[in-house]
Amino acid sequence: MKEELTASEKRVLLALGEGEVCDQRSLSEKTGVNEDAVMQTAFFLAQKRLCEVQEEKKEFCRLTAEGREYAEKGLPERRALEFLRAKKGATVEELKAAFDEQEAKIAIIWLLKKRWARFEKRGAARFLVPTEVLEGLPLGADEELLEIVAKGGESEEGGERGEGGEAERVVSAEERELVSRNLLETYSRVERKVVATEAGREVLSQGISAEEVEEEVAQLTPEHLRTGSWRTVRFKRYDVNLPSKEVFPAKVHPYQRILDRMRRIFTEMGFAEIKGEIVQSAFWNFDALFVPQDHPAREMQDTFYLGARQPTDAPEELVKNVKEMHEHGGSLNSAGWGGAWRRELGEELLLRTHTTAVTLKYLADHPEPPVKVFCIDRVYRRETIDATHIPEFDQLEGIVLDEGVTFCNLLGCLSAFYKKMGFPEVRFRPGYFPYTEPSVEVEVFVAERGWLELGGAGIFREEVTNPVGVKHPVLAWGLGVGRLAMIQLGLTDIRDLYQPDIDWLRRARVRARV
Amino acid sequence: MPVIKLFYEDLENLTGVSIERIKERLPLLCADVEREEAEYLDVEFFPNRPDLFSVEGVSRALRQFLEVEPGQAGGSYEGEKLEKSGIEMVVEPSVLEVRPYLACGVVRGLRLDSSAIESLMLLQEHLHRGLGRNRAKVSVGVHDLARVKPPFRYLAADPSFSFVPLDYEEEMTLQEILERHPKGVAFRYILEGKEKYPLILDSSEGEGRTLSFPPIINAERTRVTEATEDIFVEVTGLNENVSVALNIIACALAERGGQIQSVVLRYPNEKEKETPCLEPKTVEVSVEAVRSLLGLDLTAEECKRCCERMGLGAVVKSGGAGEGAGERAGERAGEGAGGGMLEVKIPAYRFDILHPWDVIEDIAIGYGYDRLKPELPRTAGTGEVHPTEEKKRAVREIMTGLGFFEVLTFTLTSERKQFELTRQTFREFEVVKVASPLSAEHTMLRCSILPNLLEILSLNTHRDLPQRIFEVGPVVVRNFKEELRLAAVSTHAAANFAEVKSVVDAVLKEMGLTGSGVGGGGAEEAEAEVEVKVVPSENGAFLGGRRAEIILEGKKVGVFGELHPEVILNFGLSQPVVGFEVLLRQ
Repeated sequence: MKEELTASEKRVLLALGEGEVCDQRSLSEKTGVNEDAVMQTAFFLAQKRLCEVQEEKKEFCRLTAEGREYAEKGLPERRALEFLRAKKGATVEELKAAFDEQEAKIAIIWLLKKRWARFEKRGAARFLVPTEVLEGLPLGADEELLEIVAKGGESEEGGERGEGGEAERVVSAEERELVSRNLLETYSRVERKVVATEAGREVLSQGISAEEVEEEVAQLTPEHLRTGSWRTVRFKRYDVNLPSKEVFPAKVHPYQRILDRMRRIFTEMGFAEIKGEIVQSAFWNFDALFVPQDHPAREMQDTFYLGARQPTDAPEELVKNVKEMHEHGGSLNSAGWGGAWRRELGEELLLRTHTTAVTLKYLADHPEPPVKVFCIDRVYRRETIDATHIPEFDQLEGIVLDEGVTFCNLLGCLSAFYKKMGFPEVRFRPGYFPYTEPSVEVEVFVAERGWLELGGAGIFREEVTNPVGVKHPVLAWGLGVGRLAMIQLGLTDIRDLYQPDIDWLRRARVRARV
Repeated sequence: MPVIKLFYEDLENLTGVSIERIKERLPLLCADVEREEAEYLDVEFFPNRPDLFSVEGVSRALRQFLEVEPGQAGGSYEGEKLEKSGIEMVVEPSVLEVRPYLACGVVRGLRLDSSAIESLMLLQEHLHRGLGRNRAKVSVGVHDLARVKPPFRYLAADPSFSFVPLDYEEEMTLQEILERHPKGVAFRYILEGKEKYPLILDSSEGEGRTLSFPPIINAERTRVTEATEDIFVEVTGLNENVSVALNIIACALAERGGQIQSVVLRYPNEKEKETPCLEPKTVEVSVEAVRSLLGLDLTAEECKRCCERMGLGAVVKSGGAGEGAGERAGERAGEGAGGGMLEVKIPAYRFDILHPWDVIEDIAIGYGYDRLKPELPRTAGTGEVHPTEEKKRAVREIMTGLGFFEVLTFTLTSERKQFELTRQTFREFEVVKVASPLSAEHTMLRCSILPNLLEILSLNTHRDLPQRIFEVGPVVVRNFKEELRLAAVSTHAAANFAEVKSVVDAVLKEMGLTGSGVGGGGAEEAEAEVEVKVVPSENGAFLGGRRAEIILEGKKVGVFGELHPEVILNFGLSQPVVGFEVLLRQ
């Protein structure tokens, strides 16, 4: 118990001593702490049941403004009496002329009531004359009281209190009269007395050393360090369970962290990152990937075209190869798509619909094995925005070009990636993409959600690799990133990734849930 | 991708396999089960397999895949089983300029219930949409043969020609159909600019009665009902895919017990053609190619079995390109390389086999994707992060260190946000606009990041201040050129120029840029660093006298300051905002 007490609590307990009843003034004097602070400490001790705070309501009186005036000048009837004595009597009119009218009225009423004067007819006029008893009249009880209260000083709520404190007495019968004359007013105050409880006395009996009641230091200062006083001062103890003010570290976007994790996984697996342009020609985005020119995905309703054309940047020989591949399968044992391939459709500019345009361009520049590259970037599809669709999102693309790589190797790359991402259960289903054969769809098992399709992959068709001069299989995948991120971040609306609530950013943990 | 409704009862009847087994194995064939209901499955099939766009086609594939009918594959619809109907179709020269391709066939001896008819109609619709490119390239008409009188004629008719179209009771001219009939309105774009329209007529009364007005609508009188026993199929279009569509429809009807018969097409100049042609196409695939592409140790016999599970006929042939000891082709594995060639027969309803690798994929599916063993390639490589990403990572470290939260916003935005709300002069030639935006919010690629950040602030006015956010990413400017930019904003009651200048100075210094406007550093440190100047700016997004530009080697590379009160109000904000945007050199 004792250990939990602050120094000031211990000081108050010492002041209370064995069973002594203290009011707040005496407590303040004994501890040297102002009354408010000492009472607050007493209340803390009371909460700990080490002392008891008794409260008593008392009435006091003090001068009113009128009372203060009379205390200085004397009561009106006293001053009127002196006037009458000097003049040996006077008429009401004379009195009113000497005092103000209101005061004269009050004086006359009280002169008569106290029998200090009476009316006497002198001729036609009525004179007020002092009575006989008034030779050397001493002060009345009311006047004495007024003087005493005035000397004690008046006390207003919260104001300074005069010496002696006589003004603050319980109201007596004489005082009631002055109150009714509106010269005094009464007020009440709660008087507190503090006494140690049994438990308090027990703590005291354990002894409280002088050291223990020394002032506690709330903050270690350079001064403490310089002077070495830190060795002797007592540091205020913190309640370690008190709630703290909330602060947030500024953070990288949680989604970016997932993108970076994917980036790290592929670099760990020996892949180099490549980048390409957002604006691509239909040639690189579709034609070079053997997407037929009348394929639905190429229509305006799925792809953002810019309504502009640019002569293709591909070498003329490549353009010729692609044209022949579309028309009749080029030099391969392939049927091609038939019909005439139109160069101008390939010159249409668009926002890339997949990063495959970027990887294929890279392959055209680096046709010799081995190639292991990946690309994580924004792609664009003409989709109406809702909770699961947005017109631009991120894609993770990767390829392996090497002699003798197989379809099972492709599955191996995908399994390894998803395992590293925290999805150990991966399964494969047949898939379809115009530019891969065989194709595969990848599903991972997510607790409480079941099997989720997260990506597509395959081996680039020879119709794709042959025109760019690649002579060995190319394993390729294009994986959705947003859906995976939503699972890991616990989001249900994909828009929240791109139009974030700042409080969500503040609270999203650096270590994402897997 | 087409979603096909498969009723359990129909599926079980047509396959003889329990629905549980079907549900389990169907995804490994080539389908994506979209929804499981009490009585049916909704299954999404891939667009390269229109032969699976009907319960009949799916049942056929399942019987083969699940080996209900081993050894039957590929042989069911071969040429010798095709009978001749004796029916002729005369193709008139006039139609060759309008819709030149045609394929016709007859299926006799059918007993169709309502679900079979519905399946037939849905199959037509799926073929129209995918293969037919919304009927432009291929359109199909099926007719009750008992109600029409062969021979038929395919010709181009005057728009004033009239007949009673499907779902109507009175005659309409072709022109009226295009103007008023729902199908006419939906598909008239295909015939735009044509003076005459395609028409198929029979031989009844005088000049003949109408079968159909391709690619728009059939005649009401030829409607196929449960009473129909014999069906006439005509497919018109703009390319050879008319034959594919005919084969798919005819073979689907054969699954319902029909007998396919051919029709003779008589072209001008005495040319003659008989359709459908159900002769399988032959593709040769070497077993070695299968083994090396898949990474599977399969023998020729195993490859043959896999083909058969996919409905492909396969004959193991000795020899083959580069294979000396071809006699061993049929032996079990373990005896060394399983060489040899497979002669694979592709059924006439498959049109997705362009190349031997398409057969190899079918072999992989026949083998079972669930049995494939993932194995990492042995290809070595040096992992490397792209320099741009390294730069972005460094910027993120600086900005989060300065107390800014990262955001990732859309690169698609609008002229309104990029120019109007931010008090910028519209610079048409610098803007990359999309030709057919989906909404007024996404009409162009951003050429500045700051407006996006202000938008994020506008979505967060109910959140505690201060708010400090940044983004590092691409903008696209003139000539589709991409630039890597960093932008940041800070908003709170006391945000001012001094705050943003401190941040800009810190960023520039960390990026190795220093100069007159950058405090600290010292002369000796500046050696390896590039000099940067800060000069007053006139940028309208910021408040006059409280804005500056960053000049690097004489080029403006950035701007910062206190956002203009109008801009703040335009974005619905009520607190001071400061910000900057700076080009990061690649």
